[in-house]
Amino acid sequence: MTDAPMTDAIVAKGLKVHFQTAAGLVRAVDGVDLTVAQGAFHGIVGESGCGKTTLARALIGLQSATEGQVQILGRDRSDWARSDRKGFARAVQFIFQDPLGSMSRRQTVGQTLEEPLQIHGVGDAKARRARVAELLDLVALPATVLDRLPRSLSGGQRQRVSIARALALSPQVLICDEPLSALDVSVRAQIVNLFARLQAQLGLTIVIVAHDLAIVREVCSAVTVMYLGRVAEEGVAKSLFADPAHPYSQALLSAVPSPDPRIEATRPRILLAGDPPSPRNPPPGCRFSTRCPVVEPRCRETEPALRAVQHGGAAACHLADANIHAMI
Amino acid sequence: MKNWPWAILAPALLFVLIGLFAPWIMTHDPASQDYSALLKGPSGAHWLGTDYLGRDMFSRIIGGARTSLVAMAFVLVAALAIGVVIGSFAGYVGGKTELVLISVIDIALALPSLVIALALMGVFSGENFSWMSDYWKMIVALTLAWWANYARMSRAVVVAELQQPYIEAARVMGASHIWIFTRHILPHVLGLVVVYASADAGALVLAIATLSFLGLGVAPPTPEWGQMLVDGMSYIEENPALVIIPGLALTAVVVSFNLLGEAFALQKVPRAVRGRFLARKKAARAAEDAARKEVEA
Repeated sequence: MTDAPMTDAIVAKGLKVHFQTAAGLVRAVDGVDLTVAQGAFHGIVGESGCGKTTLARALIGLQSATEGQVQILGRDRSDWARSDRKGFARAVQFIFQDPLGSMSRRQTVGQTLEEPLQIHGVGDAKARRARVAELLDLVALPATVLDRLPRSLSGGQRQRVSIARALALSPQVLICDEPLSALDVSVRAQIVNLFARLQAQLGLTIVIVAHDLAIVREVCSAVTVMYLGRVAEEGVAKSLFADPAHPYSQALLSAVPSPDPRIEATRPRILLAGDPPSPRNPPPGCRFSTRCPVVEPRCRETEPALRAVQHGGAAACHLADANIHAMI
Repeated sequence: MKNWPWAILAPALLFVLIGLFAPWIMTHDPASQDYSALLKGPSGAHWLGTDYLGRDMFSRIIGGARTSLVAMAFVLVAALAIGVVIGSFAGYVGGKTELVLISVIDIALALPSLVIALALMGVFSGENFSWMSDYWKMIVALTLAWWANYARMSRAVVVAELQQPYIEAARVMGASHIWIFTRHILPHVLGLVVVYASADAGALVLAIATLSFLGLGVAPPTPEWGQMLVDGMSYIEENPALVIIPGLALTAVVVSFNLLGEAFALQKVPRAVRGRFLARKKAARAAEDAARKEVEA
């Protein structure tokens, strides 16, 4: 689509998504800046309700943004989607959390995979069938699933089919909304490996929303930690996970159990009190101040901006890089 | 009642076949009068006897089946088309358009169909509509009285399907509204509406007969069951068969279409909701309750 190789795949600026509900204005995403480099495997993590799914949906336009813009492959997302719906769909694809729900229950796997090709008028029936076979191969599914209905597939197979469908049009950018959370733990690893392999094989840019930190640490090249509709911390996955600067990231990471019982027994943990505040009524100052173990008076007054921290990324915390374990 | 035998479809099929092949089944011209044989009982020449003008009852019953079938098919197809289009449009577009259309549908549903049809027949009897034959007046009146239910159902299905995540998935794939509607939503709409129509057909045959019984709709030379009932009423003492035969025919058609609708509906309902499964679930819940009570005691 774009010729400039150095264009970032996704650039979001000041993205806000607010919902008007009976109980008040919900600020699901409240001013997010996000940059995803081309060829990156970008993880977005955070606890339930932090707005990560809304962010993913707003990136592709399934959710209209209240404010802010999204550029994808150097083009304004809303302009592009409006003026060239099909071209946009060929460049950017989305994978849903619930693979079963995202497929028509009346269509067989073969029909499901052929549909995007038909919509875009790709080849004749024979060429399309060949492409469907190719796609099945890509996601390591046997040809025997072609005539089956989605509900008769296993969870892992369903997600493979939905991945294959998203890849049918050879997109450059793939946005995945918790593609793993509907899967069993044992199957998750396979699908994660599939993502990693596809990314390497096809040179995709992948944005993946997840709450499983272990998996993000495993495969992602970059990561964004969200809290209550804002970016708490971002950076290169490896260095951020090794040395998280934001107390929230540290708490999140300390909650990841270790498979080794000896480490697990002595592992330092930061326990956060209570639930995140309601996005209807975020606290003044730092949004994390109500639960932060090292909160200071200034945190309740001024909201910290994202600033560069030791690991090379950025964190939105007045006390970034402070040794929180020592401070508690 | 879990699996209906296919035989249940036979009566409705028989009606359709008789209607289709009526000209070849009729032994006499249903309009030809024979004054030498008035109000006769069954005989070799006239299998079901003759009416007060000496017309062959058997041929008139068969011909009446054709009249009912054709009129019913016209009304059903037209009402279904109008209902599906209006209902789907309302459901798909949403917003104020939907609100307005729903109000229209609700008003149409609030009045009994037959009353609407009668009122429209009254309107159509005016000068402005003299270009329409009585037959077509009846078809149009019944269509306008009949579409609302289909619109309501279509809208409900469209609204429910639109909320399914796979519609969003199709949009992400770049599908147009027309693609999404025809490929994903319309099959669901038609699936439900056709099932409903199969049961509705009987009611429609009855409505056609009712209008003709009241002297509206099908004009005299054409054989029609409702008209045969009226004609026969005056001669009920001499030959009760003149009333009984068309009455039975009507009853049989209504019952057969109800059975057809029921059979379709049962085939459509997911197995999980069918009787045996429900019974098993009920039993399991009862056992659970009993166990809980025991623990509490």
